[in-house]
Formats: sequence, structure tokens, C-alpha cells
Amino acid sequence: MFPKSLEFSISQPINDFVAFLIESYGETFRAISNFILSGLLQIEWVLRALPWWGTILIFMAVAYLCVRNYKLPLLVGGLLMLAGMLGLWDLTMQTLALMLMATLISCLVGIPTGVLVAKVRVMRNILIPMLDIMQTMPSFVYLIPAIMLFGLGKVPAVLATIIYGVPPLIRLTSLGIRQVDQEVVEAALAFGSSSRQILFGVELPLAVPTILAGLNQTIMMSLSMVVVSSMIGARGLGQQVLEGIQTLDVGKGLEAGVGIVILAVVLDRITQGLGQSQRRD
Amino acid sequence: MSLKRKSLAAAALFLLAATSNASAESYCEQGKPLRLADVSWESGAFLTELLTKIFGDGYGCKIEKVSGNSLIMSHALITGDIDIYPEQWVGRTEVMNKARAEGTVRAAGHPYLDAREGWYVPDYVVNGDPERGIEPLAPELKSVEQLADPKIRALFSDPEEPSKGRFLNCPTGWSCERLNTAKLEGYGLDEYYTNFLPGSGAALDAEVASSYLRKQPVLFYYWNPTALMGTYKLLQLEEPAYSDECWDGLTSSDPKTQACAFPLGEVVYDVNVKFADQAPDIIEILSKATIPLETINEALAYMAKEKAEPADAATWFLKNYAHLWTNWVSTEAAEKINQGLN
Repeated sequence: MFPKSLEFSISQPINDFVAFLIESYGETFRAISNFILSGLLQIEWVLRALPWWGTILIFMAVAYLCVRNYKLPLLVGGLLMLAGMLGLWDLTMQTLALMLMATLISCLVGIPTGVLVAKVRVMRNILIPMLDIMQTMPSFVYLIPAIMLFGLGKVPAVLATIIYGVPPLIRLTSLGIRQVDQEVVEAALAFGSSSRQILFGVELPLAVPTILAGLNQTIMMSLSMVVVSSMIGARGLGQQVLEGIQTLDVGKGLEAGVGIVILAVVLDRITQGLGQSQRRD
Repeated sequence: MSLKRKSLAAAALFLLAATSNASAESYCEQGKPLRLADVSWESGAFLTELLTKIFGDGYGCKIEKVSGNSLIMSHALITGDIDIYPEQWVGRTEVMNKARAEGTVRAAGHPYLDAREGWYVPDYVVNGDPERGIEPLAPELKSVEQLADPKIRALFSDPEEPSKGRFLNCPTGWSCERLNTAKLEGYGLDEYYTNFLPGSGAALDAEVASSYLRKQPVLFYYWNPTALMGTYKLLQLEEPAYSDECWDGLTSSDPKTQACAFPLGEVVYDVNVKFADQAPDIIEILSKATIPLETINEALAYMAKEKAEPADAATWFLKNYAHLWTNWVSTEAAEKINQGLN
């Protein structure tokens, strides 16, 4: 037996701290939450207001621009058609809106952080273990306090998705920048480039394929949070999966599961295509 | 021929010996494990731990707790993969209704009587709370019909759809979710309120607790017995009285034109019938083990306030309510259970 005298618990102070935050700053957190929510609702409004064929055409066009062949656009169009035919269109659009918002914030946070991790050794030592924590901490542990602060629904879902999804983007951005050939950087230095010019003119452009691979990973990991999101009240495909499994309606759960897979394949192929076309250029 | 007859006779004798042996020894003395559904909600977890202590300590049963959500556990009970389901609301799921009718599962007693459920708001919304400095926001709010009032609606406004109020329904896929959705339609409130599914029990609790701490109004479905009921002062909104006719309308697939209160719930210990036939001694104890609703609420509030594990709450109950449970078990078992408490 482990000696009782050495045991300690941080649960009470943490509970008190969370209660203190809610009581004193609850309304501030709700205001932040409503701000994020309004952005998300706009994306969702656009996606749901577009006619279905419009959305499909936009996706096919983006796919074509990424790969410049006809195979991928046809696949993307076919898969989205299938999602619609399974009766999942509206749910898919809601989930997509959530994904896009999470991916957008992930990029805004992840890429600069990745640069910082690549450039500053101290940051690397602090942030890398934090990324491990973010990826392994069971999400409900931080979701419940997040719900209490930000309210139920889409906003904590976006936050949870970012926390779980952003680490690969940070890691690969940092890797991409550190992998840039030192001789290229030296050449740029020799031409008298400032460190800012080196970053934006040399390192970031050369790191783009790696960063895009990171983005691809981030999107894939975000999609695996769809069901967890619906467990905190975010509507979308996850909710139908949950409904299916909670009522042992295996077929319904599988249908919605297929919807998530479709979204995953579409987003994966498009971002991968983007990465490859970057590599070719 | 005679050899065959002899072996048959021997087999019969053996069988007889085996069955008579079974009736002489209790179920657990035969070394069979007692398999309990370790359901996750508070009252279910509390009852599971209570049964674990009573049968484990008192009768020397080898307890196996199997965890899973209510639906998977119900199926396990039907197939005989578990023996006892400690807290089942009768008539709430198709699967269990069918199993009861077919005779694979039956009730063995009531953990508590008259379980109540309904639509709640925090008490301070109506009556205020001078101690916490809260003015009553809707002093006239009493019944579900008043929810359509634009002033009341605005109190519960849904940030995702600000023109509507937010009604916090049951978590996705629970049977109460479908009933609440039907009631929302029946009361004609579906055009004024979003039918918000919190997705999980934890999320529902977190939202209610957060609203309570922030002194904000919130409208939600909840049920007894729960820690939440024992911890916060909540007010149940009045609904038209329950009637079979109205309930049939609510549970059918036709458009809903009226709605009414939930019936008082019948909650039972469900057991697998094959198990019940083999373990009359255990069934007898279950048939007596009924706890008053307030006492369960108290135990659950203790669990929430002291952040106690369900097992600790079971110990707390056994220590403080000996006059209740000693009537359920034999004196010998009571002694063993008491020894287990120290």
C-alpha cells in the first residue's frame, strides 16, 4: 500500500477555483463565447443557405483547383451527393461549419505557435510537453468546466476540437521550418535579408508542404471529435451517431458514421491534393 | 438395456442431488458470482454500491460489476450476462417492455417509490433569493403554459437562436428525450423554444450548475432522485394532470395536440428470470429493500457535497439508516455488514 501520509489531492482547490471563475467572471466568458458563436453561426448560415448543388459545385471547383485533374472533383461530388442522398445534408453542413471554424482558429493559433516553437528553444521545451497533454488528456475532463464557462453547444465543441486537433499543425509547422536547408537561409542572409524577410520569403514558403500535411492531420483529428462535440450539445452528424448508439439503432448510427467518413475523405483528399500541388510547383 | 436404465437412474439421482443441493445452499454459497449492472447515473451507482455491500459483505457473494450505458445493460440483463439491474424505470423502453412481456426479465422489488420527473427552473427565478441578492425575474411563473409568454421566453433565450427560448431536454437518445420532444409539441411550445439536446448527462448537469452559480435563469428537464435535487433549490413547473389518454397521444406517432405531466414513475430492481429462479434468497431481500425518496436524495446530496464516491455514500447510508436496512437482511448478515463498515 502506498503510504497515506504522502497522498494529497488537488481536487478541492480546483473545484473552488472553477466555482470562483464562474461566479466572478461567468458573464465575461459568456460574452467571449457569444462572439465566437456569432462567427460560427455566420459560416453555418452561409453553408445552409446555399443550394445543395451550389455547395457541391464549389467543393468540386476547389478540388479541381487543387489537383488539376478530373478524378478528384468527381469523387468529391459523388461523395457529397451520397451524403445528401442518405438524408444527412443538413447535419453534414452543420458539422462542416463546426470543422471550418475549428480549422480556421487552429490555423490562426497553430501556425504562429509552430514558428515560435521552431525559433525559440525555450518555447519548444515548454510547448512540446503541453501538446502531449492536449492530445492525451481525456476531453471530458476539460469539457465539463468549459461548458460551465462557455455554455453548452457549439463553442465548447469548437474549443475541444481545437485543443485535440491543433497539436499536429504546431508540430509540423515547426518541423517544416527547421527542415529548411540551412544553406538557403545563409544565402538569403548573405543577400542582406532581415530575419522577417527570411521567415516570410524563404522559410515559410519552403515549409508550406509540411504545414499543409499538418493542416491535413488537424482536420482529420478534428473530425474524430465530432461525436464528443455532440455529447456537449453541438448539433450535427455526431448527434445522430449518438442517437443511433444510445438507442441501439445500429443502422442509423452507421449512416451518420458514413457521413463523417465522407466529410473526412473529401477534406483529406482536397488538403492532400493542395499539399502535393505545392510540392510540384 | 438394464445398463442404460441404470445410467439413466444414476443421472436422475445426480440431478436430484444437484438441485436439492442448490436449494439448501444460498446462491452465493454455490460460488456463483453475482453480476450487477454498474450503471453510471448517481442513484444507479449508489444502489449498485449498496447492493455490493449488502450481498458482498452480508452474504459473502462474489460481486462482478459490469459497466455500460442503460441500453447496453438492459440487453445484457435480457441475455443473462448480468443478473441484477439496480434501477429500472418501468415502461420507458420498448426493449424492456418486450422482455417483461416475454418473461425473460422481471421486477424483484422497488429501490424507491414515486419517482418524480418534470420541467424545472431554479427557485430564485420565481421567488428570488435575498440571501444571494437575487431579485425574482418571473414572480408569476408557475406553470408550463406560461412559458409561451414572450417575457418569459426572453428569460431563457437561446444564444444560438436568440429569438427563441432554450429548453434543455434529456441527453440525446434517452427515452425521456422523445417524451419531452413530444410534450414540447403538445404544449405548442416548439415554435417558441429550441429543443436543445445536451448530449450527455454530465453536460446537462454542468449547464444547470453553471446557471445556478451565475444566478441566471434556466429551463430544463430533470428527475428525482438525484444529487442535483438534493443540492439546489429547484421549482417544478405545474403541468396538466396525467391521464392515460393524453399519454397515449404523446407516445404515438401522430401530431401532438395536447400534453400533460409525467406519470409517477415506477422504479424497480430488474432481474433476469433464470437467475431469479436460482436465487430465491436474493430475490427475497430485493423485494424488501425499498428506501424512502427523501433518504435517497439525501444520500445523493451527501455524495455531491462531500465529493464522495458512490461506495462512500453507500457506507454513509448503511451507518445512518440501520433501522431501514436491518429489516431487509438476516441478523447474521446484518452483523457481517456492520463489520464491513469499520
